[in-house]
Amino acid sequence: MSESAERFSWSASRVVTIGLNTFREAVRMKLFIAMTILAMCALASSFLFREFNFGSSELKFIADFGFGGMTVFGSALAVIVTAQLFYGEIEHRTALTLLAKPIHRSEFVLGKFFGAWATVACFIGMLTVCLVFALWFRETSILAEYPDEFEGGKRIVQYGEIVWFSVVQIFRIGILCSVVILFSTYATSSLFAMVMGVLVWIVGQLQHIAIEARGVVDSFILKTVYALASFALPNFHLFDVGEKLALGESLPSSVYFKLFAYALLYATFYLAVASASFNRREL
Amino acid sequence: MVMTPAIAIRGLTKDFRVSGSSKRLRAVDDLSLEIGRNSIYGLLGPNGSGKSTTIKIALGLVQSSVGECEIFGIPSINPAARTNVGYLPEAPYFQRFLTGRELLKYFGSLSNVPKDKIQDRIDYLLNRVGLEDAGDRRVGGYSKGMLQRIGLAQALVGDPELLVLDEPTAGVDPVGAAEIASLILELKKEGKTVLLCSHLLSQVESDCDRVAIMGRGRLLMEGSVDTLTQKEDFSSMRIDQVSSELRDSIEHLAKEHGGVVSSPSRSLEELFLELAKKKEEE
Repeated sequence: MSESAERFSWSASRVVTIGLNTFREAVRMKLFIAMTILAMCALASSFLFREFNFGSSELKFIADFGFGGMTVFGSALAVIVTAQLFYGEIEHRTALTLLAKPIHRSEFVLGKFFGAWATVACFIGMLTVCLVFALWFRETSILAEYPDEFEGGKRIVQYGEIVWFSVVQIFRIGILCSVVILFSTYATSSLFAMVMGVLVWIVGQLQHIAIEARGVVDSFILKTVYALASFALPNFHLFDVGEKLALGESLPSSVYFKLFAYALLYATFYLAVASASFNRREL
Repeated sequence: MVMTPAIAIRGLTKDFRVSGSSKRLRAVDDLSLEIGRNSIYGLLGPNGSGKSTTIKIALGLVQSSVGECEIFGIPSINPAARTNVGYLPEAPYFQRFLTGRELLKYFGSLSNVPKDKIQDRIDYLLNRVGLEDAGDRRVGGYSKGMLQRIGLAQALVGDPELLVLDEPTAGVDPVGAAEIASLILELKKEGKTVLLCSHLLSQVESDCDRVAIMGRGRLLMEGSVDTLTQKEDFSSMRIDQVSSELRDSIEHLAKEHGGVVSSPSRSLEELFLELAKKKEEE
């Protein structure tokens, strides 16, 4: 046996190949298109509130609506698409042919993760473009209609911060995709992976309550349970920066860096466990 | 220099856990066999005999409970063992959203086919399996026979030395089946090794050099097709260039001494059914 054959190296190009194919599959899935249309319709519906004549407050309303759509639809798409893209390969037995090729299972796990993540990132990107366009369009109209509400006639929407909000949501989605991949590696149905993904998403959104409760309770056992829960599960509440960014307020770059590092840490941890779990899985 | 066999299996046992119970189901039981290079090897057995599990262990899709399995001398659990292997699964399912060309490109990239050669390789393979006009159609719209053909093409895309073909002619019409059979023989001529699982025993009998018959996870018989089809209480003798008178005299002499003169071989199908029945009775 040759030494080169024995030490079969891990290849980033195989991860990219699997990732690109996963992305192509996702884009060709009708679900992706349906979700994109639905989210755009939801954003467009915010224009209906023009009838209430909010003036410049309408811009905050549209921004909140857009941020909410990105978070909710983005998370839903992340859970459904990731489970479909990963578990679907096992369910439809396409993984048999794929894993019979000279690839490491961790390459498959990572490829699927990046493909699913890129899909949802694209979705968020499209919503961001729509949101920016909607805000700019309304701001221009309101500026012409109510110039007194704009100090010195200057625009008040910080478009750069909207893009940063989207980037933060992409970090959050990265964690969620990795969680769903982890559950998919030992799931016996895609529904299980989706349900677990949704549960982690809900628990993650409420994580800050567990963290606060840890400081209040006296019981050592409860304290330990809360501590374990707050370390093992991500705190998605940290990524809810839309309130601050919607109008006016900027966040220091260190906050974005910390959120990126936080997402990277959790996603790496979940993907490492997912790879170990998938290595043991019999197909 | 002694060449390592294409596949070497030693004392292979695989137990599956039965869900909701502490019981274990033995799918493969102490299997040992060796598949030499540049040969066509038939793996036969009724459903549930352990053929698919053996193949999956050889491809690293399932881990053995006990024993070893090596591909060209490399443990099958190591992805390196699969660098020279092409696999066509039984009832193949492929990414339905891809066209035939895209599918071959995808698997070609994963099989380390150089980028500058992949298009030529795809054209050649589509032509070889008779799908040159369907390469730009989505795989989701392929018939069962076309899926087998594109499956064969993806197995060949990396130009592997070993091909594992699980029911390659299932769902293919007789003409297509004959074409696939002739392709398998061509592959052998090109120096490749083929492990063939098929229920078409006549195909196995005519194409395979050696055959293993499995039943309930165990190896029931293994050897060359000629040896296996030779009945134990019969012996045959080949005498060329004799006159018909001399042949009649020999036949007469045998009959005089209580011998029964008949064709000494049985078909592989007869042997297979005999063994399957015997195992069933046990």
